[in-house]
Amino acid sequence: MARDPKYDVLFEQVQIGPKTLKNRFYQVPHCIGAGSEKPGMQAYHRGIKAEGGWAALCTEYCSIHPESDDTSRLSARIWDEGDVRNLAAMCDRLHEFGALAGIELWYGGPHAPCMETRHNPRGPSQIASDYELNIFPRYMDADDIATVHQMYVDAAVRAREAGFDIVYVYGAHAYLPFQFLSPYYNRRTDEYGGSFENRARFWREALYKVREAVGDDCAIASRFAVDHLMGPVSIEAQKDGARFVEYADDLVDLWDFTVGDIAEWGQNAGPSRFFEENHEKPYSGTIKPGNHTNKPVVGVGRVTNPDTMVAIVRSGQFDLIGAARPSISDPFLPKKIEEGRFDDIRECIGCNQCISRWEIGGPPLVCTQNATAGEEYRRGWHPEKFHPAANREKSVLVVGAGPAGMECAMVLGKRQMEAVHLVEAEREIGGCVNWISLLGHSDGRPNLHRGTARGLGEWKRIVNYRQIQLDKLRNVEIHTGSRLSAEDVRNYGAEIVIVATGCHYATDGLNAATHAPIPGADTSLDWQMTPDEVALGSKEVGRRVLVLENEGYFMGASIAQKLAGEGREVTLVTQAKEIAGYMEYTLEAPMLHRDLHRLHVDMHVYTMIERIEPGVCHAYNVWDPEHKHEFEVDSVVLCTARLSNQELYREVKADKGRLDQEGIEAVYVIGDASAPRMIVDSIFDGHRLAREIDSPHPEMPLPFIRERRLWGEASNEDYLRQLANTADVALV
Amino acid sequence: MKFVVCVKQVASLDEEFELLEGGGVDSDFVEWELNEWDTFSLEAALALRESGEGEGGEVVAVTVGEQEAEEALLACLARGADRAVRVWDESLQGADPLAVARVLAAVVERESPDLVFCGVQSSDAVTGSTGTALAGYLDMARVAVVTALSYDAPSSTLTVDRELESGLVEVVRIGLPALLTIQTGINEPRYATLRAIKQAREKPLVTYGLEDVGLDAGAVGVAAGAHTIELQTPERGAGAQLLDGSPAEVAARIVEIVQERMSG
Ligand SMILES: Cc1cc2nc3c(=O)[nH]c(=O)nc-3n(C[C@H](O)[C@H](O)[C@H](O)COP(=O)(O)O)c2cc1C
Ligand code: SF4
Repeated sequence: MARDPKYDVLFEQVQIGPKTLKNRFYQVPHCIGAGSEKPGMQAYHRGIKAEGGWAALCTEYCSIHPESDDTSRLSARIWDEGDVRNLAAMCDRLHEFGALAGIELWYGGPHAPCMETRHNPRGPSQIASDYELNIFPRYMDADDIATVHQMYVDAAVRAREAGFDIVYVYGAHAYLPFQFLSPYYNRRTDEYGGSFENRARFWREALYKVREAVGDDCAIASRFAVDHLMGPVSIEAQKDGARFVEYADDLVDLWDFTVGDIAEWGQNAGPSRFFEENHEKPYSGTIKPGNHTNKPVVGVGRVTNPDTMVAIVRSGQFDLIGAARPSISDPFLPKKIEEGRFDDIRECIGCNQCISRWEIGGPPLVCTQNATAGEEYRRGWHPEKFHPAANREKSVLVVGAGPAGMECAMVLGKRQMEAVHLVEAEREIGGCVNWISLLGHSDGRPNLHRGTARGLGEWKRIVNYRQIQLDKLRNVEIHTGSRLSAEDVRNYGAEIVIVATGCHYATDGLNAATHAPIPGADTSLDWQMTPDEVALGSKEVGRRVLVLENEGYFMGASIAQKLAGEGREVTLVTQAKEIAGYMEYTLEAPMLHRDLHRLHVDMHVYTMIERIEPGVCHAYNVWDPEHKHEFEVDSVVLCTARLSNQELYREVKADKGRLDQEGIEAVYVIGDASAPRMIVDSIFDGHRLAREIDSPHPEMPLPFIRERRLWGEASNEDYLRQLANTADVALV
Repeated sequence: MKFVVCVKQVASLDEEFELLEGGGVDSDFVEWELNEWDTFSLEAALALRESGEGEGGEVVAVTVGEQEAEEALLACLARGADRAVRVWDESLQGADPLAVARVLAAVVERESPDLVFCGVQSSDAVTGSTGTALAGYLDMARVAVVTALSYDAPSSTLTVDRELESGLVEVVRIGLPALLTIQTGINEPRYATLRAIKQAREKPLVTYGLEDVGLDAGAVGVAAGAHTIELQTPERGAGAQLLDGSPAEVAARIVEIVQERMSG
């Protein structure tokens, strides 16, 4: 279908210095776990998006020198010829699709712990990182400043050699240029500290020198957090933020605006739980309309709605629609808008699972909505292309339409299996998402910082997208309100049976801390309950509630938030060192903690419940079990362990004779029904099985391409020559 | 007991479609499926057959339509109908409800069932008249827009509910044979398992021409009263205003408009 003229504005060209962007869709820098170490992944992850219509794709933050080493996390690096070679693969791939390649030159200062290189980062002042543990920078004197400026220049020259079109000096997320600009980091008294001009000097000089070196060939960009969100102690959009843009405007071809810092970068990569689409508008969205720049501006804010994009451009908020997560969730977002295929857009749900992997230290990124993210090269998966299954004449029954079942049936449908039936016991498809998406709210009041506990409503997009896709597939039938027994399954007439029946919460307090039920725990009692019962309101909750959180992700904390928001006195207990530990990785933790604190939730970490009696929970400290505590409560919510709903799978599988007799060739189990996991992994599991349904052993994932140097494969000489050239060996 | 269920393969339009000159939709934009009302009338027949009273009965699905309409019949067979009959003749191309009813009447007469089920209407043509016209040709008692039914074997009578205005329900008792037009929501139509879908292909499905059911094209032509001249899309009404922007912006604009109107 032809494009609606309303969206024409999104497909206009934009000139940035010597380069032309073919449209306004711009993938801002974001990590994927590839860096310069996995050139295949780097080239194909970005390449798929170039194919999907993005005008420019950037690397993740890219270290300019070994003394800016972020290990244990994974950045790109452009330290030497080897990195040039590996990153060139990405540039070449993007150029094939007419997209531009951007590189985000990064020097971290004290935020770079240098765990691999064992260098020592330099910084404007000797103040330990507010992000790392115990990392102090070396104070930069004038020589150091010149040295680091030269690192930027050398890196930019290498970047040009690799084929990059856009070269960034990265000063957002409180990395080095910003550390000079912000009085929060910069306590200097020389010509690089004090006055605004002095604080801005380092950044201006870096831009100037990089521009001198490569500015004729490459567009020069700078990423700038226009507001540190710390108030007067640091950069504020309407003060030094706008002022710096004016001050350095002549040196850039493109501004890339964000907010916040690295210690709480969830203010920038805002989770949907607290931040709505285009949430940075009050900060980064004011610079262009305030006439502080004459250069094109890209900005972000989990923008997935084409109408919002048009409004952003038309109102002059930004010139380019920047996206990290929307591009991960749907690499073909621009193409789909161009072709008017709005109902095919796979909207990001703002869960930040993608980010969690970087936070953990660099495993490949994952995406809840897009199971092919990160798999483009190593598994050869394409988000929009599905080859017909070799065994497509086999009929398939998928039992259970939760995340795994929906995804599996959808991909089987797209792989043109002739007959797929997706049968769900409940009235609606969606499984656990249907009740989980009701959580995340508290009392609706703004949080202490900015944003509100607006809830997990956007997570429902998991279901909406799949429902729409499934409805379009004529070879997939969905039947709801139909709970199948093992006998029903045997008689169903399917040749392949896939069980995706989900899981349930333990009713007896079975937990990962003690590996046993908790004496007295029993959710068949009316004052004890599982989280789903709270979410669905199927039990009366008393005034004083204890929530036991043994899972370490969002459930216990969400239940506490909800109940406290409704005015109850909530005690939240975990055996772990922190409440909802995984939410640190999804960047939801800071806002969550502000909300829990505001709601007076009484939190106890390193604490476990040993016995539950009517009216009282007996607790102990996990490091000192003799240290006891009693909590007087009216209700108890047990977010302890989850258990697979496996009975159907076991029962169907058990009777091999009947399977043969009924012509059932294979029985698989996926998602939570196989083992409880996070939604992102359930969707992956369903997708994986469907992608490999015609492999020799579909239950076992096929091996994927591992990007690593192979001893003996590449060239041993290579390794040995390098070793021979090391100083000590060379001397011997 | 014997039940005849009259069904129709209906066209469902894609969100976007193109019209052809002279009345019709470009078939690229059409998907065919069993009329939704008929899924309920079929279920009513199957349920009655399976209930104690109707046990041992036979359910025959009948349609008037081209080759492709066999999909609708197969869907009925897969759900549990015992046999299916399709009648077609080129002269029926574009036939109106009266003509279709005339053909159905010929089939029903040969089957001589105890009960005839029709849907209240078809989702594509929405004339709501085929069932009633059929009862007319058959000279059979008829209850339209049925929302509940129960059968009493000893007295051979049906008690049926009909929904009236303002939530009133009319309860009607009726002897057999009879014809009912069934409203959606009366029951929960079952679905066919993969096995039932495969097995449907083994069940008897016969195709008749007009002469096989004792009709000639002329008789059907006489019955036909109306034919389509043109399909057109309505003019876009004035007074509607489309709002662009993000949900928050649209919401803000709506608030403004409401306030403007209320103050003005
Ligand atoms: C997985 C992931 C990794 C990111 N890594 C970087 C990075 O290396 N450098 C950077 O400047 N921003 C990084 N960001 C932040 C994004 O560039 C962007 O500012 C933020 O995600 C908000 O944009 P969005 O709402 O379109 O996702 C990352 C974001 C994500 C989701
Ligand atoms: S993982 Fe979640 S937040 Fe990240 S891109 Fe996918 S849907 Fe969006």
